[in-house]
Amino acid sequence: MTTTATVTQESGDARRASAHATDEARELAGSHILCEALVREGVELLYGYPGGAIMPFYDALPAYPRLHHVLVRHEQAAAHAADGYARATGKVGVCVATSGPGATNLVTGLATAYMDSTPVVAITGQVGRPFIGRDAFQETDVLGLTLPITKHNFLVRHVEELADVVHEAFQLARSGRPGPVLVDVPKDVQFAKTVYRPAASVRSIELYRATRVPQPAPEAIQQAARLIAQARRPVIMSGHGIILSNAYAELRALAEKTNIPVITTLLGLSAFPVDHPLFLGMPGMHGPAFVNRAIGVTDLIIGVGLRFDDRVTGKVSEFAPQAQIIHIDIDPSELNKVKPAVVPILADAKAALAALVEAVEPGNHQGWLSELRQWEAEEQERARRLSRPVPYPTPTDILDAIYEVTDGEATVVSDVGQHQMWTARFYKWTRPNSHITSGGLGTMGFALPAAMGVKMGRPEATVWVVAGDGGFQMNIQELATLRDEGVEIKVAIMNNGYLGMVRQWQEFFHQRNYSETPISSPDYVKLAEAYGLTGMRVERREDVQAAVQQAMQTPGTVIIDFAIEAEANVYPMVPPGAAITDMIIERE
Amino acid sequence: MGSDMTEQAIASARAGQADAPQGSARLYTLALLVDDRQGAVDRVVNVLRRRRANMRTLVVGPSEEAGVARVTVVVDDAEVGVEHLSEQLRKIVDVRQVLLFPAGRAIERELALVKVNCTAANRSEIIELGQHFGAQAVDLAPETLTLQVTGKGEQVEQLLERLQPYGIRELARSGCLAIARDE
Repeated sequence: MTTTATVTQESGDARRASAHATDEARELAGSHILCEALVREGVELLYGYPGGAIMPFYDALPAYPRLHHVLVRHEQAAAHAADGYARATGKVGVCVATSGPGATNLVTGLATAYMDSTPVVAITGQVGRPFIGRDAFQETDVLGLTLPITKHNFLVRHVEELADVVHEAFQLARSGRPGPVLVDVPKDVQFAKTVYRPAASVRSIELYRATRVPQPAPEAIQQAARLIAQARRPVIMSGHGIILSNAYAELRALAEKTNIPVITTLLGLSAFPVDHPLFLGMPGMHGPAFVNRAIGVTDLIIGVGLRFDDRVTGKVSEFAPQAQIIHIDIDPSELNKVKPAVVPILADAKAALAALVEAVEPGNHQGWLSELRQWEAEEQERARRLSRPVPYPTPTDILDAIYEVTDGEATVVSDVGQHQMWTARFYKWTRPNSHITSGGLGTMGFALPAAMGVKMGRPEATVWVVAGDGGFQMNIQELATLRDEGVEIKVAIMNNGYLGMVRQWQEFFHQRNYSETPISSPDYVKLAEAYGLTGMRVERREDVQAAVQQAMQTPGTVIIDFAIEAEANVYPMVPPGAAITDMIIERE
Repeated sequence: MGSDMTEQAIASARAGQADAPQGSARLYTLALLVDDRQGAVDRVVNVLRRRRANMRTLVVGPSEEAGVARVTVVVDDAEVGVEHLSEQLRKIVDVRQVLLFPAGRAIERELALVKVNCTAANRSEIIELGQHFGAQAVDLAPETLTLQVTGKGEQVEQLLERLQPYGIRELARSGCLAIARDE
């Protein structure tokens, strides 16, 4: 019931802000009802691209000045920008596209949001109802296409249900385990008129079973507290759920009270400060060896808001072989999915952690912690021994410079590939929710449009994109959108002239057969200039810091093209299908 | 190394439950109450496909409540998998309830229409055989005879086995319907 209250509360502002809104019932076209419903949901930003089947909506849009529409250059970017906005703000991101190719272009972005549980509402135009199913121009089965990659989707059948559907979509997107929801609106429904009553349009829907937030069972909390008291080598493993439920303080309180070290998954990074004495690192395929070693010997995993993804577990049967697992998740289908949990706790991470903090006794694991720090020191010493003096910028030079120049205040949006792993591993995540990346789907081309959403959601933030030369070229067209909107982000391209992660796999597992992985880039300085932005090229290590500084001092979006070592690898690495304790480490 | 491992992984993993032992798959009957909205059945079928459940039968029809359809599905799966599958199905917004019946814990029935070859000579023999299984002759033609049989899956199977020698021309089976047995 709280959700209804929220909607009503938001609608107060919305009514004041809306161009026409009053509480009185009046006849409106579907296109206007769509706008009214968005305003009532508190939407201020939408990313989209017009086209035939969504034209009535775009015709109505200028009448709603509160709805700031951002014209992207490709619908995929609209979905990523909405996703980035949602990740940065916790609010629902909105994207809009036309039927057919417009909708299919959204698919990658929706799948990305679905895999990483971010709240996005997509609105697509559809051909008029008489044409549906007749292979009309720009008709595609959007409902069918997006069925497996949305939390739910709707094809609006008549204008009378339109407002309800939009509100249901928002409620579903943000509730429970968040996710994308798509609303497909036939063109004739956008034209059709009906009596619109703002106050009555929020139907009491049957969605409560899908949107309810389960409370942690007290007996499960007690049982978990007992296991925690008995454990000798416990670890906390936390995931994206901490960020989604804003449970930073509770996570920290649990770690500190029990003195248990914290491992965070890729999407859990920045939920726990890396300079905290209890922080260990990222697990799995590219985690530090000592973290995976810790998982190999731990006797208790307190897993919070993570799904034990295969990049985390490696070979499941050899993952944490000695550990009992307490698993807290809001989604019942995640419990016991990959690893059986001795204590499954179905709850929002924040509520469960708060209850657990109350229930546990203060603990002391100094022996275990010093053992872990010893392993870490050995690993770092080895890395120091192996490091060679190089003339070109290294990933850590770039990441350290960003951290230092921004006083650790930046939000860093990474793309997908080697640079993503370097960023995850070597950036100093000290601010909550400052790390944004496509984890589950691993979508190249995510970073630039997502960063646009991040920056527009958090205008006061300094936003850096770290991308590879491959992924950056996948949504490079959004430079135009950034320029038009006056959105200021800074971009560091780690340019090695390869699709580096694939090349690394080819090196390790395909006898260095570098099939189709060398990739060329445009001249990024000229490219930036062509888009009316600023570009720089950095080829020497000693110029990294100054370039980052200059980028920060230059207004507008700035691209720095860093020429990094062509065949640098991400170490260590767990080969696919192997146990995580069985890592490939750099050769001496 | 990559391809070997991938094949092994595929061979050892069933329906998302990496720890399910080999050969532990068996039949389960699920009954779902689903809001009768557009795409609701698609969603159910899609989750079954997506989570790699082997669907044996699928029946969609009305339930006791208007606007709510009952979907009965028999899947061939390991227990860990079917629990996971049920949870995945419960996440579908249109799904109100998922009942999981382990084998033998529900009343399960199916209906079959069997068109068998017959001659004037063996027609009554076939009808009599059917009667042993509670089957009725619902259509008689010079060269064929159609029987309607209702019962548990294995009863239907037994009748079909007995009819095989005459030559089954056409077979239509409804798939399994199930309802909970009251204590």
